[in-house]
Amino acid sequence: MSSTEQGTSSAAPAEPTTAPESAAAPEVPESFYYVHGKDKVVHKVSAGALQHSALIHGMISNLGYTEEQAKANPFPFENIDGDILQMVVDWCNQHKGKPTPPEDTNLPKQKEKLFDLVLAVNYLEIKELLTYCCKQVAMMVKGKSPEEIREIWMIPTDAEDEAAEKEAKKRAGKEAAGETAAAAGDAK
Amino acid sequence: MNVHSAEMVYSHSFEQLEIQNKPKRFKTNPRNQFPLLKLPRVVLLECIENLDVLEIILFSLISKRAKTIAKLVHWSPLDIHLGTECGPQIVLKCYTDPDNEWVIEYNEDREPSEYPYFDSEETDLTVLHYLFLNDNGNAIEDSKQMTAHICEVFRSPISGIDLCEESEIEWIIKFQPTLRNVWIWDDAITSVETLDHTFKNLKVTNYFYLESVSTVEKFQYKEPIPARFLSIRNSYWLTLPSILNGTNSCVRLQDSKLTPKDINTLLKKWQMGLKLRTLEYLEIKSFTPLDVESFTNEALKDLVWTNGDENDGRPTNVEIDDDSTYTLPEVQTVKNLIRNDGMIGSIFEVFEDDNMELCFSFQVWSKQI
Repeated sequence: MSSTEQGTSSAAPAEPTTAPESAAAPEVPESFYYVHGKDKVVHKVSAGALQHSALIHGMISNLGYTEEQAKANPFPFENIDGDILQMVVDWCNQHKGKPTPPEDTNLPKQKEKLFDLVLAVNYLEIKELLTYCCKQVAMMVKGKSPEEIREIWMIPTDAEDEAAEKEAKKRAGKEAAGETAAAAGDAK
Repeated sequence: MNVHSAEMVYSHSFEQLEIQNKPKRFKTNPRNQFPLLKLPRVVLLECIENLDVLEIILFSLISKRAKTIAKLVHWSPLDIHLGTECGPQIVLKCYTDPDNEWVIEYNEDREPSEYPYFDSEETDLTVLHYLFLNDNGNAIEDSKQMTAHICEVFRSPISGIDLCEESEIEWIIKFQPTLRNVWIWDDAITSVETLDHTFKNLKVTNYFYLESVSTVEKFQYKEPIPARFLSIRNSYWLTLPSILNGTNSCVRLQDSKLTPKDINTLLKKWQMGLKLRTLEYLEIKSFTPLDVESFTNEALKDLVWTNGDENDGRPTNVEIDDDSTYTLPEVQTVKNLIRNDGMIGSIFEVFEDDNMELCFSFQVWSKQI
């Protein structure tokens, strides 16, 4: 479930919507920060929710931004697709200030999405979510034969690995030869 | 080569290349695929760490690269037992997960295409997880290779093995000559040479069980057999020096040719503290023309003993290993010898009517203060 609205795809931060808050109003006003992914859609996230991400938490601690400064400078995560960042933000909001349950059934079922999510979560250093994702990855091969595991996890055969290695060596050799030739040309 | 034929060759090569470059056809929907190996190494290993023991094994069998990856994880050590139960069976236990056991079995109950398949069974103490592999007529060889593979991936030695064939003995001597527990079953050893070779090359540190040696040759064995718990059926060939010079804690012999006089020598040497310093329990079953009283009198000749009873604190079992114990025969009275260090040696005999054997038992223990 999304907690933010889609913003405009522009370099300037779009007007974000606020993440749903718990019914009980916090005594101290909570500070908010802003993040955007590859799609430039800006998400407003509370500092409490962002604590799940060791990377962002570290950035926040070092910056000491005011609300206005934070709004004007959303954290850019250009390497994360917008929908994936949305999932991460949702998860952080859902689990803000709560003990994390042993299982998480809300993770994407599509494996290609899960792959991108794992990469994003690893980059953002969200330990608990990474643990869930890794469990989900392991669950994919429950009760499967080696051949099925190979297919699901796209593991090359020994012959394919050997061919790829040969190809890589060949390419490296060509590149080295090219560099040598270029260096010789420069020397002349 | 004319232009046309050259063109044909090139076009043929091009066609082959096209075929090779076509995307691989997966039975699995590509959307349901996950490029595991493209994950950062730390994340990849965390995913693998969530697999259970059987899944790790299957994963590591996929390719050399998969095996290398599986070996990078520091798995909890496994207790690996290569056994036999209607065919080869590999039983795996994890010291950190005593509630689960994993069993790999080979059978031919199903169509080859249906393998491997899984099953599980819940017992009072553990959940047994089965992986059934196809027995294609080479199950013994396959199980040896599988065991070696598991040992490598989990960096764990084989802890116990059932040996049913001479070839298996040869294999284990080469693969791992030191084992904790070994069972050698009937007809696995068919010559004195093999028996001698086995004793000289296979080191058993805890439990060694040996069934009948299938040979018509009459022979004697005088060397000690180093195992903490030694149990031999049809032990007619084992001599007094083998026991006296050994460091075994427990010895059980069936069909022994040791005489009451031999036992008398054993008891005297024990009481003097010269031999059998580590002995906890000795059981000798033998056919004898003597009645129990005559047998005992001869075994205890020139020894000073006292009567003891069942309530004097004597333990009623002997530990085989962490998982199992051997329960001693129940008796009303015993005869006690005392060694100079205070250790008690309790003697009791039971005549087993079923097989007309006299079972002589000698248990070493001390009173708890």
